[in-house]
Amino acid sequence: MAESSLQATGTAPAGSAPPVIATEALSKDYGSGRGLFELTLEVRRGEVFGFLGPNGAGKSTTLRLLLDLIRPTAGAARVLGLDTVADSLKIRRRIGFLPGDLALYPKLTGRTLLDYLAALRGGVKASVRDSLVERFEADVDRPVRELSTGNRQKLGLVQAFMHEPELLILDEPIAGLDPLVQQSFHALLAEVSAEGRTVLLSSHTLSEVERVTHRLAILRRGRLVVVDSLENLRRVAVQRLEIEFAEPLSGDVFRSIPAVTEVTGADRTLTVSFEGSADAVVKAAAAYQVLAIRPHEDDLEEIFLRYYREIS
Amino acid sequence: MSWPALRITLRLRLPSTLSAAVGLVAVMAAVGALFPSVGHTIGTLKIPRGVSNLLGGADYGTITGWFRGEIASVYGPLVIGGLAIAGAAATTAGEEEDRILALTLAYPVRRGRLIASRAAAVAGVVLGIAVATWVGMIVGVALGGGGITLVHITAFALQLALFGLATGGLGVALGAGTGRRALAAGVAAGVAIGGWLIYGFAPLVAGLHWLKYASFFYYYAGHDPLTRGVDVGGALVLAASAAVLTALGMFAIGRRDLRG
Repeated sequence: MAESSLQATGTAPAGSAPPVIATEALSKDYGSGRGLFELTLEVRRGEVFGFLGPNGAGKSTTLRLLLDLIRPTAGAARVLGLDTVADSLKIRRRIGFLPGDLALYPKLTGRTLLDYLAALRGGVKASVRDSLVERFEADVDRPVRELSTGNRQKLGLVQAFMHEPELLILDEPIAGLDPLVQQSFHALLAEVSAEGRTVLLSSHTLSEVERVTHRLAILRRGRLVVVDSLENLRRVAVQRLEIEFAEPLSGDVFRSIPAVTEVTGADRTLTVSFEGSADAVVKAAAAYQVLAIRPHEDDLEEIFLRYYREIS
Repeated sequence: MSWPALRITLRLRLPSTLSAAVGLVAVMAAVGALFPSVGHTIGTLKIPRGVSNLLGGADYGTITGWFRGEIASVYGPLVIGGLAIAGAAATTAGEEEDRILALTLAYPVRRGRLIASRAAAVAGVVLGIAVATWVGMIVGVALGGGGITLVHITAFALQLALFGLATGGLGVALGAGTGRRALAAGVAAGVAIGGWLIYGFAPLVAGLHWLKYASFFYYYAGHDPLTRGVDVGGALVLAASAAVLTALGMFAIGRRDLRG
C-alpha cells in the first residue's frame, strides 16, 4: 500500500497556524505492552479530528493525558499552546470534555447536576445551556439514576458544550444516542467547526468518524498507525472497478497487470482491485465490449481494516 | 476550597447524616430513660481491667459512668467515626472508582482544592453528628434524672467531634492518596478500632503503655471529658492530626494518576 503524506506522524505543514493540540513522542507505559507510545500528532484550529481504534488502542489514554488526569511517562503535549501538566488548570478552563463511559451523580436531577457543573466552571450562559437542553431534548427533571444511557449521554453532551469551549474533547460521544439525536449532535459539530472551534473526537464507530471528521488518526496497540484526511486515505488506498462485459471474460486478462491486486467475480461482471492509476485496467478492459464501469469507493471500515491487516 | 464541590458533597451526604443524627438522639434519649431503672441495678461491673477500660470504667452506677459506658466509649465514636470514614472514602476514592472524578477534574478545579472541599464536607457531617450527640445527651441526661453539667456534655461533644475529624482525615488521606475506596475505608476503620483496643489494653502491658499515644481514642477519651472537661492537649493533637492528614491527601492526589 502506498504511504500517505503524513503516515505515522501527525504534524501540520510548516508555516501553518499553531496547532490546538500538539503532542511530541507522548507516551504512557503501563507495562506489558499496554499504554500509549511515542504519539506525535497535531490537531489544527477548526478541525473535527477523529481518533479511531479498537478498545485498548490508546485513545482514552491519550485524552486522559491531554486533560492531565494521568501523567506521561515520556514525551509532552501542549493544548491551546499550554503545557498539559504545568498549565492544566488554564487548559481546563477553555475545553469541554465528555468522558467515555460517562458517570454522573445518580441521585441528582439533570438540572441540579448541570447547575453544579456550571458553578464549578464559574458560571455559564443560561441561554446557551437551555438551548442545548432543548436541542438534545435532555430530560433534566428526573434523577440521573432513572435515565436511560442515551439520556445520560445527552446531559454529558450539554455539560461539554454549555460554556462554548474553544476545544471539545469527546470520548465516544454518540454512545447510546438514537439516530435523531446523533444527527443533531453531528449538526452541532459542524456549527462548532464553522465557528473556528476544534473538536477531538474519539470513537470506534467508523461511520461516525467517516461522517463528521476532517482528518483522522488510527491507533493500534498504543501506536499511531496513520493520520490523514479521509480523502487522502481513500486516494492511496486500493481502488476497485466493477466492470460489466457483453460476453463472459476470464479474470486472467487483468491478473497479469502489475498494479492489479485482486480480481473477483465471474461470468460477465468482474471486480478489479488495483493500486495507483486506473489506466492499465481501463485499457485492458477496452479490448472487449464493455457495458458498464462502476467505481467502488472504499469506505472507512475497509481502509481501517486494511491498515490493521497491513501491520499485523 | 471549591464551594460548589463543598455544597454538592454536603447535599449528597445530608440524608444519611440526618437519619444518623435523628437515630443518635433517639438512642441517647432511650439510654438516659433507662438509667433510673437499670443503671443502679448494674452498678460497677467486675470485669478485667482491659475490658473495663474499653467501656470507660464500666461504672454503670452513676449517670456519668452510665453515659460514658453506653455512649462515650463505643456508640458515639462508632457512629461518628463510621460516618466520617465512610464519607471520606466515598467522596474521594469512591467518586474516583465510580469515574465521576474524571469528569469533575476536567473542570477548572485543582485536585487539592477538590479534596479540601470533600474534607470540609466530611467535617460538616462530623459536626452535625456531634451536635446531635450534644442534643441527645442533654435530653438523655434530663430523662435520666440529671447529673452531668452542660459544660461537661459540651466538652464531650467537642472531643468526640475532633475524634471524628481525625478519623475522617485519615479516610481522606487514604482515599485521596490511593483512589481505592475499600482500602481507604478498611484501613481507616482498622486504625480506629485498633486505636480503641490499644487504648484499652496497652496500659496493662509493661513496656507497651506508650502505645496509647498512637491512638486517636486516647486523645478523645483519655482525659474523660464527661468528668474533667476539655482536654486542650488532646484536642490540639486531634485537630492537628485532622489538618495534617487532610493536607497529606491533598498533596498525594496531586502527584499520582487518576484511576479508572
